[in-house]
Amino acid sequence: MPTPAAEHAPGLAPADGIAARARGLTKAYGSGETTVLALDRVDVDIVRGRFTAVMGPSGSGKSTLMHCLAGLDTVSAGQVWLGDTEITGLKDGELTRLRRDRIGFMFQSFNLVPTLNARENITLPLDIAGRRPDEQWLDQVIDTLGLRDRLRHRPAQLSGGQQQRVACARALASRPELIFADEPTGNLDSRSGLEVLGFLREAVDRLDQTVVMVTHDPGAAAHSDLVLFLADGRIVDEMRQPTAESVLERMKRFDVIRAPVDDADRSGRK
Amino acid sequence: MLRATLRSFLAHRGRLLLSALAVVLSVAFVAGSLIFSDTVDRTFDRLFASRSADVTVEPRGDLESSVPSGAVQTLPASLARELARVDGVAAAHADVEVGDITVVDSGNESVGPTTGAPTLARDWHAGERSVVELASGRAPRGDGEAVLDADTADAKGVGIGDTLSVQAQPGSFRVEVVGIAAFTTTNPGAARIFLDPAVAAGRLLGSPDRATSVSLDAAPGVTDAELKRRVTAGLGGGAYEIRTAGEQAETAADELGAFLDVIKYVMLGFAGIAVLVGVFLIVNTFSMLIAQRTRELGLLRALGANRRQVRRSVLTEALLLGLAGSTLGLVAGIGLAVGLIRLMSAFGMRLETAEMVIRWATPVTAYAVGTGVTFVAAFLPARRAAAVSPMAALADAEIAGAGRPLRVRAAAGSVVGALGAAALAGCAAADETSSAASLLGLGVVLTLVATVVAGPLLVRPVIRVLGAGFPALFGAVGLMSRRNALRNPRRTGATAAALMVGLALVTGMSVAGASMSRSFDEQIDRTLGADFVIQNANFKPFPQEVTDRVRDTEGTGLVVRQRFAPVAVRLPDGQRVETTAAGYDDRVDDVARVTYARGGTAAALADGGMAMDAGFAAEHGVRTGSTLPVEFPGGRRTELTVAALTDMAGGDGFGMRGGLFFGIATVEAYVPGGQDSALYVNAAAGTSTAELRDRLESALDAYPQVQVRDQADYKDLVHDQIAVLLYLVYALLGLAIVIAVLGVVNTLALSVVERTREIGLLRAIGLARRQLRRMIRLESVVIAVFGAMLGLGLGLVWGLCTQQVLALEGMTALAVPWSTVAAVVVGSVVVGIVAALLPALRASRMNVLEAIAYE
Repeated sequence: MPTPAAEHAPGLAPADGIAARARGLTKAYGSGETTVLALDRVDVDIVRGRFTAVMGPSGSGKSTLMHCLAGLDTVSAGQVWLGDTEITGLKDGELTRLRRDRIGFMFQSFNLVPTLNARENITLPLDIAGRRPDEQWLDQVIDTLGLRDRLRHRPAQLSGGQQQRVACARALASRPELIFADEPTGNLDSRSGLEVLGFLREAVDRLDQTVVMVTHDPGAAAHSDLVLFLADGRIVDEMRQPTAESVLERMKRFDVIRAPVDDADRSGRK
Repeated sequence: MLRATLRSFLAHRGRLLLSALAVVLSVAFVAGSLIFSDTVDRTFDRLFASRSADVTVEPRGDLESSVPSGAVQTLPASLARELARVDGVAAAHADVEVGDITVVDSGNESVGPTTGAPTLARDWHAGERSVVELASGRAPRGDGEAVLDADTADAKGVGIGDTLSVQAQPGSFRVEVVGIAAFTTTNPGAARIFLDPAVAAGRLLGSPDRATSVSLDAAPGVTDAELKRRVTAGLGGGAYEIRTAGEQAETAADELGAFLDVIKYVMLGFAGIAVLVGVFLIVNTFSMLIAQRTRELGLLRALGANRRQVRRSVLTEALLLGLAGSTLGLVAGIGLAVGLIRLMSAFGMRLETAEMVIRWATPVTAYAVGTGVTFVAAFLPARRAAAVSPMAALADAEIAGAGRPLRVRAAAGSVVGALGAAALAGCAAADETSSAASLLGLGVVLTLVATVVAGPLLVRPVIRVLGAGFPALFGAVGLMSRRNALRNPRRTGATAAALMVGLALVTGMSVAGASMSRSFDEQIDRTLGADFVIQNANFKPFPQEVTDRVRDTEGTGLVVRQRFAPVAVRLPDGQRVETTAAGYDDRVDDVARVTYARGGTAAALADGGMAMDAGFAAEHGVRTGSTLPVEFPGGRRTELTVAALTDMAGGDGFGMRGGLFFGIATVEAYVPGGQDSALYVNAAAGTSTAELRDRLESALDAYPQVQVRDQADYKDLVHDQIAVLLYLVYALLGLAIVIAVLGVVNTLALSVVERTREIGLLRAIGLARRQLRRMIRLESVVIAVFGAMLGLGLGLVWGLCTQQVLALEGMTALAVPWSTVAAVVVGSVVVGIVAALLPALRASRMNVLEAIAYE
């Protein structure tokens, strides 16, 4: 039975423009009576060249969705594709290569290797792969992010905002098919946060990248092209051209509808 | 607070595992050696106390010599009859017992112990004090019969009816084994053969009227001490050593004790090094645990715990670790003692594990060492923990202490290092062995301390160089592993220091050993001119028959005999020096190259003449022509004139102080019953050395204790003896290196835990498991090689200085065993790889998502 969220098919689009796709994506923790469904038969398409935000209350499964799409976590059921590659069922080595070569990551904190300087951090995925960076592209990324005079600095010598910019540059350096950003502004003051969001926006608009950002901050989500709303492991809504106010309004409604949906769902499954 | 401490201890028990292992090893060796030596002491105290006669009378051992002359000191057998008449003597027995004989079976194989323990022959005197009783067969009756001890019979497959040849000083004789005697007490490891008392003295001492000691039994009511007093009064004391049973047991135990003490000290050496290296491991563990718990400690402080409580909490953890380690160590020590006792049994010394002695001092020492070491090692980290500010709970500081300046270490390290270097320079410049040796010891300790203290300062420069090629060779993985090794110089320094200690000692010892070998080689080349030297394997004298057979061998040209004599010389400066002198046949110049400062061989070996080392002579005011009073064993005295002064490197050493030698006739005259210790043999004209060798070897077939050696064999023999010594040292240091490897494993394992999030991040952005393992392995290798470099540097300096000390003893050659140096470097790479196995596996198995979320 398709979930209500899947029925109205959030973000579904023609296959050639799809950066990542999930069908029937289910992630369960535990077993038997104590099973908790973090993701419940999610269908989603991430469109290439778009800035997608994933929102939802705590425990809604938004981080799990990102981890499963990025090949960091295994799925309980369903299928996930990155471009044309089905990543469900891949072995650890293949997943590692996939993350290295085709995906960029930004985390909330502890994004950088403390022993490496900014430039070394930026090129790390390429260095691990043993690939030479595309210098022209790298220069463009570094200049876009304004890191030119910080390249020799170690992470400890950089501010939080600068560290996130380096992480952003690293995510862009290998020109991946998809960039996942997990609460990239969560640890930053509002000015630095805005800066980082501006760069992600620029990466999509000017550098033609595809970004998926998990956030719980409506202000951050407002920078995206499309917001997907998750609740109880399912995509319950989507919003194009969001503004901070509209997202906040939508979020407020979760507190109201959450409990009934939850109960109905549980009894229905029994 | 105590509950928090206990919780924390239990929560970190996995991380404390390797520290606990270090404590266990240290304590096990301390406890094991104590239990072993106590057991041995008690066993032998009992043995000797129950087996000694009430009073024993022996010839006074006036001149003890480390080099045996082969002569047996005797007393007249009639003394027993004389003493039997002393009031209070119930019975007197003239004992005939000689050691250092050789007994061979019909296949010309020695039946003696292979461990170097002696073969003893004595008269069969069954009684309650005998250490043996007849197990099968009968007592020996008349010439040509003997009883053999059961342990030897078992070991060598000798049975009743077999024929043995006994090679005693007066001559060899054949005996048939008529009985097998079992030990009634612990067998200390010697082989024993018993003869009929009627023939023993004649066969073993060359005269039926001699004995080696008299055993007296006291009449009822007479104490041992009283009897000794009466016997002393009757004999006048001078020529005899008179001992009560208690004194005799003590003497016997002392003689055996010297050998057992060696084992005890070797064991304590193990323990000491285990403790020393273990301290590094524990310091590192606690430092790292505290660094990792900075936020937790800050929270405790923020919640109101004061500094003392925090410090006490860490020290309590150390105490718990020490107690747990000591308990396990004590148990392991008992196991070790059992193992040692079994091992000694395998070598022929029958100790009973059931009679193991654990005195109260053993557990006390074990716990004192175990908890003491842990406590001391945890003290500095505990102070650092107490210094954590409550703000640390909020800050996201990576590693406390990583960035603290090393100024204090730099200052302390350079001061101690300068003192150590000065001591070593002084040692190299010194011209007296004793002061040079003590300066060497001081220098070694100071430079070791300096290197440990300043080690962290060397981390950056040395590892930058060692890891210079890493980025080019291994890319980003190599770069990160090099940076990781540089990340916390204190930690890397301490980890490497543990490895350095063992390797520095190995290197120093092997330089000294190689230099000694080369010096002996050069000395052999310089001095030995004979085609062959015929000698006992352990340089003990051999029977006259060997000399006779060599002389009678076809193709033998010149034979020069060498005999040793214990002597005491009264020198013009008033000193009386006890030493060993050598006696030679006339044509010594044809078999050895002796260089003289004054005089020559002919004068030295002439009747009444003597040669002396020129340096020794100058020191004591002796000149050519000086006539000196010389004492020999048994109170024989003469005066000899110094007719020649030798000028040879190493002439004054090896228990041969003064380098005295004279004609063999002098030895024969004043040490009757002495035996030859070496024969220098040249082939006759027309006989090739190969031919002569074959003939000599077949002529000496029945004398398995002597070997025919040419220069090369002689060198091999010396090399082997040095090698045995080195292997012992290497085994000792092997333990230190094992603990150091545990230290590297420990540091890496804790680093992996500490860097969990970083590892998670690396894995998330695409670092493969294989690459992660390689990164940790490279870090491990670079730390191990760094430790090896420090150890090699220090060890080479120590070795050079040791050689300077040896040079004063005539060992002037310097040799650096480059193969050992290379082996140490290669070995350290292997150590690094092995140490990284588990931490790397653990890191690569981490769940990426959990690792990223790790706090």
